[in-house]
Amino acid sequence: MAAKRKSRATHTLVFLIPALALYTLFVIAPTLSSAYLSFTSWDGVSTKIHFIGFDNFAEIWNSERVRNALKNTLILTAVLVVLENAAAIALAMLVDQVRWARNLFRSVFYFPVLLSGIVMGFVWTIILNYNFGVLNQLLDLIGLGSLKADWLGSPRFALVSIILSTVWKQAGYYMIIYLAGLQGIPQELTEAAAIDGAGRWQQFKSITFPLLAGSLTVCSVLSMISSLKIFDQIAVMTDGGPGFATETLTYIVYKVGFGELRQGFGTAMAMVLFLLILIITVIQVKLLRKREVQL
Amino acid sequence: MEKRRRFHDILIFAVTLAVAIVFFFPIFFNLMSAFKSNPEIMRDAIAFPKSFYLDSFKYLLTETDFPRSIVNSVILTAVSIVFMVLVIPMAGYAIERSNAKWTNYAFVYFLAGMMIPFQAYMIPLFKEMKMFGLYGHLAGPIVVYVSGSVGFGALLYTSFLKGVPREIEESAEIDGSSKYGIFFRIVFPLLGPCTASMVVLNGLGIWNDFLMPMLVLPSGKPKTMVVEIFYYVGEFSSRWDMIFAGTALSIVPILIVFLLLQRYFVKGIATGAIKG
Repeated sequence: MAAKRKSRATHTLVFLIPALALYTLFVIAPTLSSAYLSFTSWDGVSTKIHFIGFDNFAEIWNSERVRNALKNTLILTAVLVVLENAAAIALAMLVDQVRWARNLFRSVFYFPVLLSGIVMGFVWTIILNYNFGVLNQLLDLIGLGSLKADWLGSPRFALVSIILSTVWKQAGYYMIIYLAGLQGIPQELTEAAAIDGAGRWQQFKSITFPLLAGSLTVCSVLSMISSLKIFDQIAVMTDGGPGFATETLTYIVYKVGFGELRQGFGTAMAMVLFLLILIITVIQVKLLRKREVQL
Repeated sequence: MEKRRRFHDILIFAVTLAVAIVFFFPIFFNLMSAFKSNPEIMRDAIAFPKSFYLDSFKYLLTETDFPRSIVNSVILTAVSIVFMVLVIPMAGYAIERSNAKWTNYAFVYFLAGMMIPFQAYMIPLFKEMKMFGLYGHLAGPIVVYVSGSVGFGALLYTSFLKGVPREIEESAEIDGSSKYGIFFRIVFPLLGPCTASMVVLNGLGIWNDFLMPMLVLPSGKPKTMVVEIFYYVGEFSSRWDMIFAGTALSIVPILIVFLLLQRYFVKGIATGAIKG
């Protein structure tokens, strides 16, 4: 019996070791190393690593550029969470209520989710191009030529353009989750409300939306995390520009760490980003769960 | 009442259709422009192609490194997925079926990984890859993809395994099957739906990934499709026809796989949502 138990333990170990080893070596070890490097002035090349205490963090705190990137990241995230969820709920309501070609519509709304940020960023770059872009051409066509703008080249519109194209890309993902939520709402509830004389907007406001609370928690946390980490679209659409107008924290980590060879500083930024994601996620989950319970 | 209902249905349909057209336009625009020559694109971006212009595809597929980058993308995605659905279910099985306490700790340890964003460990990772000789090889990203998916994968498989009855395994054990035989012949096939979600979710992420292949694969040589397209945007900044052809070539396989495996994508999201 003892021998059998021992052999079982060996099997467990053999089954676990590949995952354990890979995960420890290529996720945990570099994360710890990152935490250490954030206190150094390492350039990524030299063998000597100087420990400089909290200097990197002090620099982050004082840097105009980082503050600007933090501001961009927070604006981007706040606006994206609201717009993506609003768009996703609207799409889910449409797909849920439409009588014909429901699966086709669902697929069309979902498809942009599957594309890489690079590919979709490129498509939007061309649509928004000042001289040859479709958007400006359309504006000309319908006689609104005065609204034409350099959508990606001007600091005023660049962030807006990135936000709108990201909503287009991501909304379908959350739509699927909301659709599952909508299907869990018993029809009797809205029917009863309709008999009591509630209009469609009232039905949505007082019944459907509150009952989507669970989906809302999941979707807003997911969209928040992915917005904080947004990278590909910025790389291809604006490269952080014009100036620093669309530079986000992830983009700085990449630029400073690989472009400017200041990897100690880069890891310090990465740690700040990590903590930011952690803190905001925990707060958000707490708040939304509390709201769910109250409902 | 009946009439009003009908009117409402048509109204909803019209609105949905309008939104769908706006939604599909960028993709349609891209696929359409791939069949236009460069002067045609510059002259009138909205116009339909005058003829079926295939030269940009021909050029991309014969004169550039694009075919090689397609092969790289396929290898990277396929090999990573194979290792993922081998290594992770094994770990999940060991955790779920063991009564030992330390496997619980291992599970919590894996879950912690779900909270760590890639950017947090990206910079030291490259140093580490150089140390292991993985830098500059396709094996580099593969190892990192597999390692990075352990956290979420372990959660997915252990929760799925809770619903798989142990009795089947016990009777196989009495019949004299080895532990490995039981896992690979009996348990693994039962994990099918879970594996399908894994394949779809991670496969898509790897196929579309940009940062890792761009930074890890050797410069000067073809990397992956997405990276190649990114370079074209800089290199051929005035040759939009090339870029359109390249993006079209990357969209079409996704479109085909999506149409074939649609239900797995939808299910994959439902399980992915639990992650949050």
